[in-house]
Amino acid sequence: MNFGVWGVVSLVVYLVALVGVAEIAKRAKQDHSPTDHFLAGRSLGSFVLFLTLYATAYSGNSLLGYPGRAYRDGYSFVMATGFMMSIVVVFHLLVPKLRPLAVHYQFVTPGDYLRVRFGGRWARELRGAIGVLMSLALANFLLAQLKAMGDVAHLVTGGRIPYELGVVGLALVILFYETRGGMRAVAWTDAAQGIAMLIGLSALLAWLLAESGGLEAITLAVAERAPDKVAVPSRTVAVNWFSTIILMGTASVLYPQAIQRIFAAESGRALKRSFAGMTFMPLATTLVVTLIGVASIARFDITDAVDTDGVVPMLLADWGAAGGFATAAALVVFLGALSAIMSTADSCLLSLGSLLSRDLLGREGSDEAATLLGKRLAAGILLATIPFALARDLTLWRLIELKMELLIQCVPAFLIALHWSRLKTGPVLLGVLVGTAFSVTMTFSDHARIGGVHIGVIGCLLNSALAVLGSLLVSDSDEGTTSGAAVAAQR
Amino acid sequence: MRRSLCLAVIVVLYVASVPWYREAGEAPGYWLGLPDWVAVSVLCYVAVAVLNAIAWLSTEVPDELDAEALAAAEKRGDR
Repeated sequence: MNFGVWGVVSLVVYLVALVGVAEIAKRAKQDHSPTDHFLAGRSLGSFVLFLTLYATAYSGNSLLGYPGRAYRDGYSFVMATGFMMSIVVVFHLLVPKLRPLAVHYQFVTPGDYLRVRFGGRWARELRGAIGVLMSLALANFLLAQLKAMGDVAHLVTGGRIPYELGVVGLALVILFYETRGGMRAVAWTDAAQGIAMLIGLSALLAWLLAESGGLEAITLAVAERAPDKVAVPSRTVAVNWFSTIILMGTASVLYPQAIQRIFAAESGRALKRSFAGMTFMPLATTLVVTLIGVASIARFDITDAVDTDGVVPMLLADWGAAGGFATAAALVVFLGALSAIMSTADSCLLSLGSLLSRDLLGREGSDEAATLLGKRLAAGILLATIPFALARDLTLWRLIELKMELLIQCVPAFLIALHWSRLKTGPVLLGVLVGTAFSVTMTFSDHARIGGVHIGVIGCLLNSALAVLGSLLVSDSDEGTTSGAAVAAQR
Repeated sequence: MRRSLCLAVIVVLYVASVPWYREAGEAPGYWLGLPDWVAVSVLCYVAVAVLNAIAWLSTEVPDELDAEALAAAEKRGDR
């Protein structure tokens, strides 16, 4: 497919529209406080909140990485629909307890919760450890988006924009509109990007089904070409399926950008309505991309794992080759994919800025200087991540897993702490350090899974056991004070 | 009560969605255009989505700490 000039024109129009949204968002700002910049003044209603949650949750990983994994694994990757849905289920443990605390104590970042929840001598160290884990996970996520942006920009313009220029150019556009418009610009562009993604994916699946003779014909073709990809999966895969649901479900609710959307909602009612809608989106998105990946098994012969992330672009190339309407429709899908990627990248960047300035550097003020520091740190991180994005030796799926193994170590500090007032600072810090050290060491010694169970899940169990047992053994006088917020959260 | 029931059934559906009870490597039958074990998983996830939506709409998400909780917090002292 050669989109050529039309691809370049569409891309330019799309980027100009994003810049326009940023300017409108900038004018809507009420002040220069971190709350207004990073949380849109806590004004997001149900509709925008739903779309921004959707666009942020479904990213370059979902649109390029997931079909690639489905291509490699076959129908067993239907597990992805389950684990994406499990995220919305696990939010039940977080939202009803965290939301009233967030409003009462005016939280801006996840570290603000830790500040009021955990006291005593190790509180600062715990906030630092959690801040580092979350920042690393976000930087990892940002890196995956930058890689995907480069690929899509290259493809959408028929090769006129090289991968490297796509990464750098689009990163700078994101930096511009995120810095100008803050959370408002991010949420508003997310809303438009979410709609584009949904339309694009639906159109691609409809074409694929029509062109292949329906779902049954696709399944039979895959069964003939690769019988193992439709057969009942092994016991190890079944164990990994459960493990992935636990890993993704629990870790994903601790994405700082997801937590910040709980803070940014205009009301608890808006939040619950958004989550009620979000629970259906894995069926409309993850299941669709899984079917796209599986259908590709019968169409393409790809041997290199890294190249399997390109199955969606290859399908679009087939579609667009017909010319006329098909090329225009494939172009829309490409822009939808780019939208999904950029909407996740901008949310990561916004969260990183606030996380680094407030949680790691301790700039907790509500003045313009604190906001400016967050913007500058986000810019620094983005520029530092770009060189890594230019190296292309990891599959997107592996990047997702590495990030989740870090994030899941934050479970005791949030999910257990919100529900159990006796959880104490020192044991939680010990658990985080041991769980993280275990997970990282095992991952880098090529033991990413044991019997199909992710090493991050085992690390989290070890981490949680240390936090709970330690809290039962440590007396209040050894630990220092317990925050009033810990008590309030239990009511 | 309705929320708790929905969440309990969701857990059961998750256990049923994974084909651990089938013989590994077995050639599947086909249903709804999908291998039968995939169709079961998808139907489980559709049911999870419906029940989870009901659970969310039944969930109370307060915007403020209630008075009793606030008093308890102040008594212990906040940072």
